[in-house]
Amino acid sequence: MRVVVAEDVMLTRVGITRLLADAGIEVVGEAGDATSLLRAVRMTQPDAAIVDIRMPPTHTNEGLVAAQQIRAEHPRLGVLILSQYVEPRYAMQLLEEHPERVGYLLKERVFDVANLIDALRRLADGETVVDPTIVARLVARRRRTDPLGALTEREREVLALIAEGLSNRAIAGRLFVTERTVEAHVKQVFLKLSLNADPGSHRRVLAVLAYLRGES
Amino acid sequence: MYLNRRPSRIGDLALLAGLTWFAPVWVAWQDGPPLVPSLAMVATGLMLPLILHLTLAYPAGRAGSDPARRLVAVVYTEVLLTSVLLALARDPYLDPACLANCNVNIFLMRSLPSLVRAVEICDRWFAVTAATALVAICTARLVRASWPARRLLMPVYFPAIGFAAAVVARAIVLQVTTVEDPFNTALFTIFAVGSAALTLLAFGLISGVIRASAERRAVTRIAANLDEAPAPGSLPSALAAALRDPGLRVAYWLPGARRYVDATGRAVPEPLGMPGRTVTHLMRNGRTVAAISHSGAVPGLESRIGPAIRLGLENERLQAELLAQLEELRASRARIVETADGERRELERNLHDGAQQRLLALFYDIRLARASAGEEGDMQAERALARAVGETQVILEELRELAHGIYPAVLAEAGIAPALASLADTASLPVEILPAEDRRYPAPVEAAVYFTVAEALDDAARRGSDHAAVAIVHHEGRLVVTVEDSGSEPTSPLMAAADRVGALGGTLAIESARYRAEIPCASS
Repeated sequence: MRVVVAEDVMLTRVGITRLLADAGIEVVGEAGDATSLLRAVRMTQPDAAIVDIRMPPTHTNEGLVAAQQIRAEHPRLGVLILSQYVEPRYAMQLLEEHPERVGYLLKERVFDVANLIDALRRLADGETVVDPTIVARLVARRRRTDPLGALTEREREVLALIAEGLSNRAIAGRLFVTERTVEAHVKQVFLKLSLNADPGSHRRVLAVLAYLRGES
Repeated sequence: MYLNRRPSRIGDLALLAGLTWFAPVWVAWQDGPPLVPSLAMVATGLMLPLILHLTLAYPAGRAGSDPARRLVAVVYTEVLLTSVLLALARDPYLDPACLANCNVNIFLMRSLPSLVRAVEICDRWFAVTAATALVAICTARLVRASWPARRLLMPVYFPAIGFAAAVVARAIVLQVTTVEDPFNTALFTIFAVGSAALTLLAFGLISGVIRASAERRAVTRIAANLDEAPAPGSLPSALAAALRDPGLRVAYWLPGARRYVDATGRAVPEPLGMPGRTVTHLMRNGRTVAAISHSGAVPGLESRIGPAIRLGLENERLQAELLAQLEELRASRARIVETADGERRELERNLHDGAQQRLLALFYDIRLARASAGEEGDMQAERALARAVGETQVILEELRELAHGIYPAVLAEAGIAPALASLADTASLPVEILPAEDRRYPAPVEAAVYFTVAEALDDAARRGSDHAAVAIVHHEGRLVVTVEDSGSEPTSPLMAAADRVGALGGTLAIESARYRAEIPCASS
C-alpha cells in the first residue's frame, strides 16, 4: 500500500512515517500544507492520504477542506483525517459528500500502529472510519426521552460500531458473531429508531451520526 | 471666528452713506462759506466705497471673506488718492465739464486741468471695475449661501447690484457725452435708477433689522418653552427652528478630551466656517462651551443668546460630556473583552501546537519503549510503560478539553450554531437548541452568545434542571438569546456572561424565569 502523509509538525510526521514504514507500508510523499499535499497526491497517485486537520495558514480546518477536494478528484483514494478535536461536526462534514473511503481519527490513536493499519485497511475496503471517542460521546449524549433505551445491550454495541463506520462483516468479526446475526441486529436497530436510511449503504454512517446528534 | 458684537458698524456706515448722498446739494451752495462746496466736492467721491463697504459688510459688520476685504481696502485707497489729487489740482473755473460749482475750491494749490481730466477718467473706469467686482462677490455669496442666509442677503444685495449697474452705465454714457449734462435723458434715467436702488437698499437694511429683532425674540422664547428635563439635542433643534435654519448644528467642547461632541456625546469634527456657514463660539469665563454652526443670517448670534439658553446649552454640554464618557467606557470594556478573547484563542492554538504536539511525541516514544520492553520480556518495565501510556492518554484528553473550554475552535471556524451543537453534545443535561439561522456574526458577539449559553447551562445543571432549551433570534439589529430550563427559578446574575454582553452594549437579565440576553448586532 502506498500513502502520502500531510502534517505540518515535523515530529509527528516523522513518527507516523516511521510507524508506517515499520508496518511495511510505503510512504510515497510527505507534505506540510494543503497545497503541497494536493500536488503530492496528483504526482504519486497513492492508495491513501493521511492528513492533519490543522495546517497552515489558519491552523483550523485546512486539512478537512483539502480532504474533500482530494475525494472529489480521486474517488478511489482513501483519506484519513487526523484531528485534535472531538468534534462530530467535522467528521460529519467529511462524510457528507463522499461517505466512503474517508476517516476521522483522533491523533493519539494513530500512534497505536494496529489502529492505524486497521483504519487504512478499512478505507481500502471502501469502509468509513469515525473515531470511537466521538461515537462514544454521541451515544452518551443526554437526551430528554432516550430512544436508545429501547435497544438491547448488543443492539447498542452494533449501533456504535455502525457509527464508527464498520461494515456488517467487520462488526461480525469484532463481536464474534455471524454476519447474518449482525444483519438482524442492524435491522432491529433501524426499526426501533425508525431510521429511514438504507441499512446496507455507506450513507447509514452519516444517518446514524445525525440521529445520535438529534439532528435527524 | 467670532461675529462682531458691536451692532453699530452697519449703522455707522449707513449714516455716513446717507450724509454723502446729500453732498452734491452742498456742492451747489454757492452763497455759503467756500469751505462747504469744497468739502462737498471731496465727499461726493466717497459714495461708491461706502455703499460697497456697507453691502459687503452686511449683516455681520465685517467684509468677511478675503477678496471682499481687499476690495474694500483698494477702493478706499483709490478714492482717497483721487480726492486728494482733485482737491489739490482741480480748478473748477477751468473745468469745462463743471456743473454745480464752477468757481470755489479752497484746497487748490496749482491748477492742472489736463492731469485732472486724466484722473477723472481713470477714476471713472476704476469705479466700473470696483462695481463689477462688487456684483461678482454678491452673486457668488448669494449662490453659495444657505436658504436662510440668502433670504437675509437678498434685500440688500439686489439693490446693491442695481446701484453697481448704474455706476457702470453712467461711466459708459459719460465716456460718450463727456459733459455731465443734467438734461441728458440717459444720464437722468441712470441717476433715477441709482437713486431707486439706494432707497431700496435702505429699506433692505431696515427689514434686516426688523427680522433680526424678530429672531432675537424667537430665540428668547425658546427658554420659556424648554421642558424641565429636555432630551439631548432638543435645544439645538429649538434654536434651528427659531432661526429658521435647519442646517444649524451645535457642537459641545469637552476640555478634558479636547474634542467636540454632539448632544448625544458622539464625537464630531470641529465646526469650521465656510461659505454659507458661520461658526459662533459660545464662551463662559473665557472657555468655549459650544460652537454653533449656522447660516450666518443672524449677525451677533452670541449676544442674542440670553442667559437662560446659555444655561440650557451648558447643561446640555455637561450631559453630552457624561454620555461621551459612558460611550468611552463601553468601548473600553469591549476592547478589554476582545483582547482577552484574542489571548484565549492564542492560548488554545498554543496548547494544540505546543504542549499537545510534544505530548503526542512523548506518547509515541513511550509506546515504542513499551513494545520493545515487551519484546525483550521485561515484564516489569512493560507494565510500568503501559501505565505511562494510559496516563499520557488521560493527560491528552484533559488537555484537549482544556483547550476547548478556553476557546472552542469550532466557534472561531464555523460560528455560533455549530459551536452550540457541540456544547449540547457534552452538556450534563439534555439541551434543545431551537433551529436558528446558521450565519456568522462579529467574533465578539459570537463569543458572548456562546459563553452566555455555556454559563446559563452550567447554572441550570446546578439548580437541578433535567433539560434546557436555547433560542437565538436575530431581530432588528439585536441578537436575542434565551435559555430556559426546568429547574428552580434562576437567580444567578451570570457575572462573566453579563460582563461580556454589557461590554457589547447589550443586557443580560432574568425574565419570566429564564435568562435573556440582548446584544446589539447590526445586520451585515
